[in-house]
Amino acid sequence: MDRFDDDFSRRGFLKGSGAALGAGALATLPFQVAMAAAFPERNIKVYVPTREGGGADRNLRAFASIWKNHIKTNFEPAFYPGAAGRVGYETFMGKAPRDCYHLLFGNMGAEVLNWVVKPPTFPIDSYFYFAQVDADPGCLFVSTKSKLKNVDDVVAEGKKRTLNVGVSRLAHPASLGALALADKTGAKFNLIPLSGGRNTLSGVATGEVDFGALPTSSIVGRSAFKIVALFDDKNALPDKIPDAVLVNKHFNMNLPPLVAGARAFGIQTEAVEKYPDRYKTLVSTAEKVYGDPAYKAAVEKTKAPWEYFMYGSAEDCKKYVASITEIGQQYKQYLTGKQKKS
Amino acid sequence: MEFSIEIFAEQFARTFSYWWVILPSILLGLIVGAIPGFSAANTIIILLPLTLAMDPETGLVFMVALYASSRLGAGIPAILVNIPGTAGAAATPLDGYPMTQQGRGQQALTISFTSSVLGGLLTTIIALLAMPWLSQVAYYLHSVEMIVIMIFGISLIASIAARDTLKGLIAGFLGLMIGYIGADVIYETPRGTMGFLELYDGVPLIPALVGLFAISEAFSVIEGDSILTKLGREAMQTGGWGATIEGLRETLSRWWHVVWTAMIGLVIGVVPGAGAAIAAFVAYQQSRAFSKTPEKYGTGHIEGLIAPESANNGVTSGTLIPLLVIGVPGGATAAIMAVVLQYHGVTVGPELFATRPELGYGPFTTMAVTYILMIFTILPLARYMSRVTVVRTVFMAPIIISFTLVGAFVPREYVFDMYLALVFGVIGYVARKTGYHVAAILIGVILGPLLEQYFLRAMRISQGDVLVVFSSTIGNILWVALVVSLCVPAFTAWRRRAAQERTPAAQ
Amino acid sequence: MTDSQQEHGRRKPIGGELIIPAVAVVFSIYYLWTIVDVPFTAQASALFVGTILIFLCLALFVRTALALRRGEVSLGIGGLIEPTSFVPRRLVLLGLTVAYIFVVPWLGFTLTTFLFLALAMAVLNGGRSKGFIAALSAVLAIGGWLLFVVAFETRFPAGPFEMLMQRMF
Repeated sequence: MDRFDDDFSRRGFLKGSGAALGAGALATLPFQVAMAAAFPERNIKVYVPTREGGGADRNLRAFASIWKNHIKTNFEPAFYPGAAGRVGYETFMGKAPRDCYHLLFGNMGAEVLNWVVKPPTFPIDSYFYFAQVDADPGCLFVSTKSKLKNVDDVVAEGKKRTLNVGVSRLAHPASLGALALADKTGAKFNLIPLSGGRNTLSGVATGEVDFGALPTSSIVGRSAFKIVALFDDKNALPDKIPDAVLVNKHFNMNLPPLVAGARAFGIQTEAVEKYPDRYKTLVSTAEKVYGDPAYKAAVEKTKAPWEYFMYGSAEDCKKYVASITEIGQQYKQYLTGKQKKS
Repeated sequence: MEFSIEIFAEQFARTFSYWWVILPSILLGLIVGAIPGFSAANTIIILLPLTLAMDPETGLVFMVALYASSRLGAGIPAILVNIPGTAGAAATPLDGYPMTQQGRGQQALTISFTSSVLGGLLTTIIALLAMPWLSQVAYYLHSVEMIVIMIFGISLIASIAARDTLKGLIAGFLGLMIGYIGADVIYETPRGTMGFLELYDGVPLIPALVGLFAISEAFSVIEGDSILTKLGREAMQTGGWGATIEGLRETLSRWWHVVWTAMIGLVIGVVPGAGAAIAAFVAYQQSRAFSKTPEKYGTGHIEGLIAPESANNGVTSGTLIPLLVIGVPGGATAAIMAVVLQYHGVTVGPELFATRPELGYGPFTTMAVTYILMIFTILPLARYMSRVTVVRTVFMAPIIISFTLVGAFVPREYVFDMYLALVFGVIGYVARKTGYHVAAILIGVILGPLLEQYFLRAMRISQGDVLVVFSSTIGNILWVALVVSLCVPAFTAWRRRAAQERTPAAQ
Repeated sequence: MTDSQQEHGRRKPIGGELIIPAVAVVFSIYYLWTIVDVPFTAQASALFVGTILIFLCLALFVRTALALRRGEVSLGIGGLIEPTSFVPRRLVLLGLTVAYIFVVPWLGFTLTTFLFLALAMAVLNGGRSKGFIAALSAVLAIGGWLLFVVAFETRFPAGPFEMLMQRMF
């Protein structure tokens, strides 16, 4: 979490955030002299459906601090936490103008699962993601004090008794991974939503639950925990989490990568239809960011593992959203509690 | 985590050398603590550019000092104008504000400061010495045990309701019901939200707090010229340092009360996610239950002020324990601290004690030093702060309304929350005027969702077996303690009645 | 004192006391209605508490009805609004508070706070010492702006004043 430069300081986006509340939109514009006709001629506002200081904030700052040099304008984040992101999405879709000057920056996986549980008030295809910035796979982890030492212990124990699995919420890619593993192996897992990553870590550490399922980066580097399994095609951090097995390989499964932290920029479909040139500019400049060496430096400054940063196109995002939605649909009854399932 | 007296002494000396960071942080902490809506956590976020620019040790000293002093700051408006600065101070006005109305504001502030500092200092030292053992508390207090602890706090509703039980219970249960607004923690099904997405995560605490206490107060106080009673106004005429010394003496003579209520705070603080409000309510409830004069609580009783203030400062040191021992922050402020340290490449966890003792022990020595420096800076101010109460209500009421509306807005920055504060203000006003206790409503709003969360979690873990609430030994011990503490006041009252009946007969 | 006055004085007006339980019953029923179709775990607590709350309220209604029949109380709402001489001022204050929240997104923190403080104080003070009130309100509004907007950088709605200041500095 860093304020990269003056353009991206709190003071800088004070203006923009005021706009969120209905005032700035009126107030900032008169001071912007509309000189150039090219896009973008003013700041781009980014709606973030999580709280300031979180992972999305961190990644957005890193990305925007480089993107602004390529697109030649500043980004003003506005945070709308609440209701697992719903507040942010509803505000973005409900109030933000469709002009390519208003973008969304959210965690695709966790947030599209909301729509599986309860559809939003707007049509789901009225927005889409066009630039993914990171991919943090879901994982299973245990406390170092636990007698479960690896994923085989977990499964074996789960066949003897029902194991309680701490998760941040039910509708979460990492939670779905645990469910899929239980289905495949016949182990019995009882998912306990502990409202957030921090509480999940506490629950696992204090032994209230037997093990946990969360995004990998929230465990890496914490000595009280050990990651035992990854829901990904490869282990991108072999040095830091040597004991983690790949679930698909180890259990002969074919789950899509259950990326639990997959932040991406989103935009309204209508805006793209109305201003295809602007959208093209957004995409072409965003693509350049990942290749810029300054970006890697910016990410490393945030202490997040660079290995989990990647660039995903609109096509990649679409594929990812579809795969998560599909697996979410499979477990819809479990997620909504309409029918019991172990 | 080996403990040696040298490291300890060296650490203290080292921390004292940071007095130039601690003193301004104390001042800032007192201010943000006193303004509803601001807390140590969001102030650190606001000041992140500054915090991140400091080296990790200075940053840590700054954050810890801010944290401890903001807790103390929250009690000031609670006592003087009936507005708790944070939820942790929600039990403080119960006896603090009546004292102020009686013109004993200066004394009340002194009692609050002294018991906060003593409670905070004591628990900090205990936390430092007994960290390995204390950290075990979290391994034993799981959802089931927390359910009982919540009920300890909630049972305070019944005590508050003493005057008119039926109305008191209605207020408390209405509060619980309001607290249940929002999505359930398991399936995230929205309940009772009246269609507002802003209520999906439940009723935000600060708007409820400022509405029930501050705004309703502002609408009520305009009837009088000042918030003081007639006697209170006379008492305020006399001023001087006498009341400060008196308050100091009264707290010190009740040192044992400070000690055990602080310990309640410490133990509850160690449990991740529990928090100061619970500790304050539980301490108040326990203090009242074992008092010889329970009927005096709520009328400006000194023990009733010591208990919550000492307990909520006990929480402060407690919340740092999970952060340092298992590397998982127990509360919002600790979480921000971890983020800041991580930015500097410092991973918080048990290994810190060996690798960077100045950061491992640092939070505790800083907290101790903060409390020591704080008592000298703040105690003399009590006399001047208490003059606020003579401000005429025609000026006071509008100021309270506008500044607490700001406070309602700040935590989430939704205009909706200001409307919500107003709605709670109207509910609070009607409640006050018609004999329903606003504190009973607030206890419900604060503790209701927590109780439900622990209950649902326990039910989920037990896969739907309600008897899970009696499934743990510690839980069962707590149940017995709960029953005892609920019966004690009745028993005391019965004995006293019996004694009174005997006395006239003997004469 | 005449008999009727005595009669009136003896009968405590407790109509106001029924507002909170009435609200409680209506809200509980609404709440329970919203959870008809949700999983049992999400219902359990509220069902338990809501049912008790409704029963408590009914008990209070019965108690009130009995007291009414005995002629001890009346359904007046005196308790709620007394002393009546303050009713107009209180309503104005309430109106100004609603106006404050309504206007603040457009006028910004500083101006709205100034107007609210000045008007509310002027009304409460019966129109006296206008100069002092204006000065006090200005000081408080600007002090609040310095503290909340400048120092703490709270993202409070920005209005003309904030925009002007931002442009100037």
